[in-house]
Amino acid sequence: MTGTPEGDTAPTPRAGLAERQAELVAALVAGGEPPAGFAPGPLAATRAALLRKRAGEVARHWPLLAAGLGAGWSTTFADWAARRPTAGSLRDGWDLARELHDRQALPPAAAEELAVRKARLRYDGRRAPRPRRAPAVGRAGGAVAVQIAGRVRLLRPASRTATLAGDGVPDAAGSSLWISD
Amino acid sequence: MRRMTGPSGVGIGWRPEIAGFVAGLPGLRFVEVVAEGVPASGPLPPGLTQLRERAVTVVPHGVRLSLGGAEPVDPARVAHLAAVAQRLDAPLVSEHIAFVRAGGLEAGHLLPLPRSRDAVDAVCANVTRAQAELPVPIALEPIAALVDWPDDELDEADFLTEILDRTGALLLLDVANVHANARNRGADPLALLDRLPLERVAYAHVAGGAEHGGFYHDTHTDPVPAAVLELVGALCARRRPPALLLERDGHYPPAADLRAELDALAATAGFPSVT
Amino acid sequence: MTVYAASGDTWGISGPTFLRYYLMAVSVVVAIAVYHRVRLAAGSTATMTAEPLGPQQVAYLNGGPQLAVHAALGGLRGSGAIGVRPDRRLTTTGAAPSGLTPLEQAIHWAAHQHSRVGDLPRDERVRIALHQIRYGLEQRGLLTDDAQRARARFWTTILIALLGLGVLRLFSGLSNGHPVGYLLLTLVALLIVTLVLRRAPVLTRAGRAALRGVRREHTHLAPASTPAYATYGAAGAAMGVALYGTATLWALDPGFAEQAEIQRQAASGSGWTGGSDGSSGGGDSSGGDGGSSCGGGGGCGGGGCGG
Repeated sequence: MTGTPEGDTAPTPRAGLAERQAELVAALVAGGEPPAGFAPGPLAATRAALLRKRAGEVARHWPLLAAGLGAGWSTTFADWAARRPTAGSLRDGWDLARELHDRQALPPAAAEELAVRKARLRYDGRRAPRPRRAPAVGRAGGAVAVQIAGRVRLLRPASRTATLAGDGVPDAAGSSLWISD
Repeated sequence: MRRMTGPSGVGIGWRPEIAGFVAGLPGLRFVEVVAEGVPASGPLPPGLTQLRERAVTVVPHGVRLSLGGAEPVDPARVAHLAAVAQRLDAPLVSEHIAFVRAGGLEAGHLLPLPRSRDAVDAVCANVTRAQAELPVPIALEPIAALVDWPDDELDEADFLTEILDRTGALLLLDVANVHANARNRGADPLALLDRLPLERVAYAHVAGGAEHGGFYHDTHTDPVPAAVLELVGALCARRRPPALLLERDGHYPPAADLRAELDALAATAGFPSVT
Repeated sequence: MTVYAASGDTWGISGPTFLRYYLMAVSVVVAIAVYHRVRLAAGSTATMTAEPLGPQQVAYLNGGPQLAVHAALGGLRGSGAIGVRPDRRLTTTGAAPSGLTPLEQAIHWAAHQHSRVGDLPRDERVRIALHQIRYGLEQRGLLTDDAQRARARFWTTILIALLGLGVLRLFSGLSNGHPVGYLLLTLVALLIVTLVLRRAPVLTRAGRAALRGVRREHTHLAPASTPAYATYGAAGAAMGVALYGTATLWALDPGFAEQAEIQRQAASGSGWTGGSDGSSGGGDSSGGDGGSSCGGGGGCGGGGCGG
């Protein structure tokens, strides 16, 4: 939409500005062609910084998802989001969680988080999530959550494979401080 | 509408994550709050209500109006900003000289405008539209940008001055942004300070950042570097702004560190300490 | 009941007579039960100190001994004094911090012995520390003491027994075809009274008021505000757990909570969380404007690449 204010007699330059701004945004968030004349270095740095910032915001809305992926969170998110313009942190995290779920790569705590969210909101991947009014059940990765009148309870935790690591491999939950004394 | 006095002294950006910390600052006289986080109706976040009861000035800071966009600013967003200003009895509001969306896509961040006449026209048109609906003056913040448009006609100081002259808006001078832009372009920040209309500064931002991949990023999630603090000193030596605001958006450090930063700011500017 | 009088009274006692004695007995017992309940809720007029309540005491008031243990865990984890091993057992990290409460000391010692979180309430020192907390709260008049509660429950049991007697009389009266109208009315009223008096409260009125006061002072620790626990420190973390349950532990350190197998929901003894999800900042539905949700109050100005 390149609207012009009343009385503007030269729409073309303004339209040009709109187009150029759209090109820049597309290049930064949707994997579009870099517009002519822009230095590639700063453009790439801006793109990376945007993804980092987005990852941080999604982590605020989906802390267990971010924590569950531990050190791999930034790269996992950046890889997934590089060509996907943001639809809001809530939807970004939800879409990523669903994709990881389909790939069986969703950490258990994140599955519980997703189940609780599914019980509370309805989301089909296309439009904004809407709160559920009727009692509802959310399921993800073995976790089952039930919502009645706005209050949610996790009925069953997600399935967790036993991880008795003795070889120093960090646990998926990423607890960083375990110095045995 | 009862309006609070303008911002003065050292302030801090109010965030729900540190609301308890902000509430515990004895000498605090003003805060800034992200306008999009305050509802136009219904209950205010509890920390804000307490601050209002203490007669602390609250300035709503818009981040998503996209005043620099070629598209006319969304009237609903302006209305929301105006409503928030009313609710909080704010003496002024602030926004950015930047755009955040274009072509139906959200950038999710503040992006710089080309410093061209067209862009000046676009910004001025949007600011004028907003001013028509706002009950209080607006202060405009120039942003830090890694990216430079290839066809910049004006330099930064002229660009800013022209916009401010044509709209009559105030200036929200972000010292960290001045530092970042100068660092990334290899320019002299003091030269820019000398050319800015410092008498129009309503208040100033200070924030932290980090070096990353050869660029200085104004992250707002790191401590304030010494260079930025020095720049604050240089600014105060030329013309001290009425108020200085510490902006922190994430990775919040222990309370003692935040207090130390606030004290350092106060000491550099010669303002009374708020801690 | 093998004597069937052809048209005699149920149980050999006439209706009105039974009702009269029954009502007398019920009134007496109800009066005593109500008296004990009121005394229980009022609590002892014991020493009302002005000392502020610590996080573990608040946790005990809010969710009993289990929540007090979790609050102490939150405080210890917040100051980095304990960690968890890959085999899900606790461990201590770094030097022992100073200024620990007895419960924290007990848990720190148990962590040194590599106990599990689930085993902590059964640990001897932890139990002693929990008793101390309970005793202290009773002394301050915030918790009802066991003896009082037992007495109140005793009289409520008598009431239930009377109710049972009345129901028995009702059914035998019905099977004999006698009028049971007034008895039924009495029983209904008695049932209501019994239900009201059934649960003996754990907190006294002062206790409930104290808890409300603490909650008001610490609204900034609510999980919906995604509080910055690093800023609020170990005390903030402990109080957050005390007021808002284990959701705070999960927000404070999800890796630790996962590894130590801390239950997801344990606030005030109920498993239900209401309102916005504990971990979402600033509301679930992101305004429907299709944009990135900065609505949570976190700044979007500046940050990242530029501006």
